[in-house]
Amino acid sequence: MKLRLHIWRQAGPSDQGMMKTYDLDNVSEHMSFLEMLDVLNEQLSERGEEPVAFEHDCREGICGSCGMVINGRPHGPLPRTTACQLHMRTFKDGDEIYIEPWRARAFPVIRDLVVDRSSFDRIIQSGGYVSVNTGNAQDGNTLPIPKVAADKAMDAAACIGCGACVAACPNSSAMLFTSAKAGHLSMLPQGQAERYSRSENMVLTMDAEGFGACSNHYECEAACPKGISADFIARLNRDFVKASLGTSA
Amino acid sequence: MRSFGEVWKSTVFQKWIMAVTGILLVLFLVGHLSGNLLIFLGPEAMNSYALGLKELLHGAGIWIARIGLLVMFFLHIRAGIILSARNRASKGIRNAKTEPRASSVASRSMIYTGLLIVVYVLYHLAHFTWGAVHAEYYSYIDAAGRHDVYRMVVESFQQPTIVVAYVVAMIVTGLHLNHAIASAFQTLGVTHPRFSPIIRSVGPLVGAGLALGFMAVPVAILLGLVGG
Repeated sequence: MKLRLHIWRQAGPSDQGMMKTYDLDNVSEHMSFLEMLDVLNEQLSERGEEPVAFEHDCREGICGSCGMVINGRPHGPLPRTTACQLHMRTFKDGDEIYIEPWRARAFPVIRDLVVDRSSFDRIIQSGGYVSVNTGNAQDGNTLPIPKVAADKAMDAAACIGCGACVAACPNSSAMLFTSAKAGHLSMLPQGQAERYSRSENMVLTMDAEGFGACSNHYECEAACPKGISADFIARLNRDFVKASLGTSA
Repeated sequence: MRSFGEVWKSTVFQKWIMAVTGILLVLFLVGHLSGNLLIFLGPEAMNSYALGLKELLHGAGIWIARIGLLVMFFLHIRAGIILSARNRASKGIRNAKTEPRASSVASRSMIYTGLLIVVYVLYHLAHFTWGAVHAEYYSYIDAAGRHDVYRMVVESFQQPTIVVAYVVAMIVTGLHLNHAIASAFQTLGVTHPRFSPIIRSVGPLVGAGLALGFMAVPVAILLGLVGG
């Protein structure tokens, strides 16, 4: 199939950047979206032009590296699908496709479609962990965990940190990411000791990184390739205020 | 534990302030609407209720309510402006193409509908509380020597332009409440697999019900169903 691609090109962090149009022919419907970009990049290299920079790693939807706004939607039109797992059969011959980077002040563009997501790392560093003393691990069966809690913790832990929630949010809020990372720990006994200080530290770090506030649009939940529920945001809201106004450790 | 200053400035705490004051303002609207609907019972019900409000707690009641409302409005609007300015700055450059999937016109226009409501409230106070606009209807006294609220309202809403202004304001308010009520519960962290779906569907209905209730009075008067 034949496609017309409108791609954000930006040579570096301080470059202005602009949309550029490329025509691509002979695209197989079996290609993944990233393979389609590989083909484009090969042609650009042969013509002596700079290839389009984009991030990718596993290409099987579990690493969270790839991420681009495709036709106005993070990771493209399919629900619960990363850009690498999106295939060209989703598009039609003659389609125009807009390909743009995640947009957020806290995710500055490094080049083309690659953004700096280290603000996510700093949110994790501020509280997205459980402190464990060294020594023998206790017997697993001494920690009873209800099935429902284990399942919910796993739902939150499915977050791959791709940043689609931030890209989808009109406010570039990182509440779905932050609440998933706080939530998968606060659902489990091991996460209780630091539960409230964690919620405070992660929210305040998120604010300091320049992410917006949550307006409950639920765009994040719709864009999340792992289908993480915005209920975790409510849970973090609750924990944060408990930590701030109630008894807290 | 972080200092209260840090917590106060955080987005989540400002959202809480927004939600708590918002819910209190919605409760005020419920009270306000129940008073308004007395117009359907006639002049006696309306004017004695209005006098009762003024004389509550020897006249202190209305001032307690006014100061409370002023504080609610101030905190709500302040948080709204701070957060939406922050949100705008956080997005920075916008994508050439954006396709919303879950948000609504109501949710995306909260700051605009909110600011329009501020303009409307000032007009509404100037009309019925201060007598600064449409002053010709303000100074009627009824047979019992009370402020004739019934006549003021009826004669005001016999003017189509005034009715249009109020109906438009209530459409804007309804749009604001369409997103507001369910959103407040989410912000407060009041979620439950059993109740959240109900809150998400009942919230917009309560908003629409309030807006339609407020609209009923001017429309009924204009159509001659009341005071005709």
